[in-house]
Amino acid sequence: MRRLSHSLAVLWVVATLTFVLMRVTPGGPFDREQRLPPQVLANIAAKYHLDEPLISQYLRYMTGLIQGDLGPSYKYLDRTVRDIIISTLPVSALLGILALAFAVIVSFPAGLLAAYYHNSWTDRWCLFLATLGISLPNFILGGLLIWIFSLQLGWFQAGRWGTLSSIVLPTITLGSSAAAYLTYLLRSTLIDTLGADFIRTARAKGLKEIVVIFKHAMRNSISPLLTVLGPLLAALVTGSFVVEYVFAIPGMGRFFITAVTDRDYPMIMGVTLVYSTLLVSANLIVDLLYSVIDPRVKRH
Amino acid sequence: MRTPYLPYRATTLALCLFLALLSCAPSSEQAQEKVFRVNLGTEPPSLDWSLATDQVSFNVIVNLMVGLTEFDRNLRPAPMVAKSWEIHDNGRKIIFQLRDDVLWSDGKSVRAQDFEYSWKRLLNPSTASEYAYILYDILNAEPYNQGKITDSDLVGVRALDDWTLEVRLKHTAPYFLAITTFEVTYPQRRDIVEKNGTRWTDPSIIVTNGPFLLESWSHEDEIRLKANPGFFLGKPAIDRIEMVIVNENTTALAMYEQGQLDFIDNRSIPIFEKHRLIRQPGFRIVPQLRGYYYGFVTDRKPFDDVRVRKAFAMAIDRRIFPKILHGGEQPINSWIPPGMIGHNPEIGLPFNPSEARRLLTEAGYPNGKGFPEITLGYNTDETHKMVAEAIQSMWKQNLDVLVRLDNQEWKVYLNKLNNDPPHLFRLGWGADYPDPDNFMKLFTSTSGNNNTRWKNERYDELVERAARELDEQERVRLYNEAQRILCETDLPIISLFVTAETTVLNPRFTGLEFNSMARLMLRQVRLTEPTGANPS
Repeated sequence: MRRLSHSLAVLWVVATLTFVLMRVTPGGPFDREQRLPPQVLANIAAKYHLDEPLISQYLRYMTGLIQGDLGPSYKYLDRTVRDIIISTLPVSALLGILALAFAVIVSFPAGLLAAYYHNSWTDRWCLFLATLGISLPNFILGGLLIWIFSLQLGWFQAGRWGTLSSIVLPTITLGSSAAAYLTYLLRSTLIDTLGADFIRTARAKGLKEIVVIFKHAMRNSISPLLTVLGPLLAALVTGSFVVEYVFAIPGMGRFFITAVTDRDYPMIMGVTLVYSTLLVSANLIVDLLYSVIDPRVKRH
Repeated sequence: MRTPYLPYRATTLALCLFLALLSCAPSSEQAQEKVFRVNLGTEPPSLDWSLATDQVSFNVIVNLMVGLTEFDRNLRPAPMVAKSWEIHDNGRKIIFQLRDDVLWSDGKSVRAQDFEYSWKRLLNPSTASEYAYILYDILNAEPYNQGKITDSDLVGVRALDDWTLEVRLKHTAPYFLAITTFEVTYPQRRDIVEKNGTRWTDPSIIVTNGPFLLESWSHEDEIRLKANPGFFLGKPAIDRIEMVIVNENTTALAMYEQGQLDFIDNRSIPIFEKHRLIRQPGFRIVPQLRGYYYGFVTDRKPFDDVRVRKAFAMAIDRRIFPKILHGGEQPINSWIPPGMIGHNPEIGLPFNPSEARRLLTEAGYPNGKGFPEITLGYNTDETHKMVAEAIQSMWKQNLDVLVRLDNQEWKVYLNKLNNDPPHLFRLGWGADYPDPDNFMKLFTSTSGNNNTRWKNERYDELVERAARELDEQERVRLYNEAQRILCETDLPIISLFVTAETTVLNPRFTGLEFNSMARLMLRQVRLTEPTGANPS
């Protein structure tokens, strides 16, 4: 319960800070190359209550927020912020979950093999691939994958979303740096754990190697990964601007950038709050999972 | 060393999944339908033509709707829903006679009342339309939009009967007919709009009168149009249009080259690919009614001296722009672009570096010595950067002056222009409608868009007279004199080039019209005759 109220307080702070910051930034939502006549600007300001004092605009927004009304978009005039988020978040979420699944599926065996065969060729190969995954920027990896697998080999679609063929390349692109990061993390944690006394004891007791690895070593190495998994999922699920841009995927990621360049205030608030909520919830869940999985952590 | 077998099992499983996914090839369209696919580039902010302000929205709307008039090949207003019009009272009253055979998609007739409603909605202050000002020439339009009068019956547009629309203007406006080609003046159905509020543009609700119907709108993804069998000029040859939304131009180009798109324009072509596409069949460069210029801030040193301004202008060799931008940009020394009346390529100062140096010396800066440090500002963008760097090096080479370059994000840049402008700034200007008035009015002393702080009474007078003059030859004469002031004697700006759109159309198709207003008109698109005879 205490955790919950902390989380709500965090969200409130984020909302207020974002509100202030975006109003302070120079440039407004209706600045155009062709400057609008003053009466047109006055009409627009009246429509969106931008002519009211800042504090009443803030209160107006917050009361709306509590009722689930995220306001109109200043850019997409036929839809509300809620409409936009409801239609784009699931796409980003699906891509994010697939990317995370890919990252986990790749990193667990890779981290395990690298740690188990510490300092062998297997280890070096895994490390090399992991370094590559982290250092290659998304837009380069994405472009490369499109060029090789779509244009040259014709195996997958070059972009868009909706068919099985369109899922593969963006998932790999988005998941690769997460996979690399998780591989590194698992490898170093596991190397530590495998060198510990209790592992030697388990082996000395004559336990099968499989049991030693999975029941004892892995279980004790999971917590650093869990810590990271929460925020990682939040970040992946709210969409990557770059991956969605390169692959033309109709997700939410783009709004993190475009809402700011457009100065679409309600949209900026909307996506920031969605991201913060997901992040805060993910951390809450991870906290709870700790006490279940790692016997060293006490439940509150 | 014992090898754990579980990782191997996992790997095999992953491999099987991968192969399974590989075998799922994208299904091919078996349709007999004729489909035409384009890339819009970005999500249209609005399909409500009272609220839309940008290219992308208009490109969809122009295929869904028709208005009083439409552009012909020479960008003059030609009859559309209006079959004829009469001009009375020295251009202050226009009576439009409408056709009676244009139908809305629900079968009702398009009537004069629909135009009256739409124009008043555009002007209604609670609609808060950005383009309300486009109708300010109409009697009482501006006070109505300002809220000074609240009775919309006082606004000078009304339906005399179902097929007659009367427009009363507050002054003579020769360009008003050109305004009736503009999408924001398309008619609207009061019953549909009032009943549905902001949702009225939803595909299941929207009612339109043009060649295509809005079949579906999958946001950020794709818009689908289908041919309107009830269109008054006949059902279009293409059955369906798929307008995808792909932001990244390299991806879009890849899609075109893979056969997933049938037409691409600047939105879908990266700059560095343009020269390669020249050899493609279906390649065409379409000059646009859009100028690119550098403005001087003329109320402070050093550009308060006209000799310095002229020196800087004459030190630029404009031939470099199409070479570095590869887009068919047209260098121009005057301001009104080709294709508009009043365009005059003989006006303007030529490239003359020795004369430029002489002028700079005369102004007190021999060989650039003692020249104060100045900044050229532009908004962050690859193209603007290339142009700025090219010009910076020309000024260094020809005048021995090194100008500092400074760029900001677009909105921050606009803000800066208002509050603390650099000595020189980059801007563009595009025509809302193809009449020189909205190009020349930009630099009058009362224009809210004149960032040069330059004022010239004679220029103001000429532009105002030309705006009230019905005789075209007289207008041209007035604009010639005004352009001479703007581009030869006073030179508050350096007009650099007119932009162009690079387009490639798959030769399977013909009849696509991409005009100088950057409108993608798809009404006449059809499959090319198989014998190879293309009526173009």
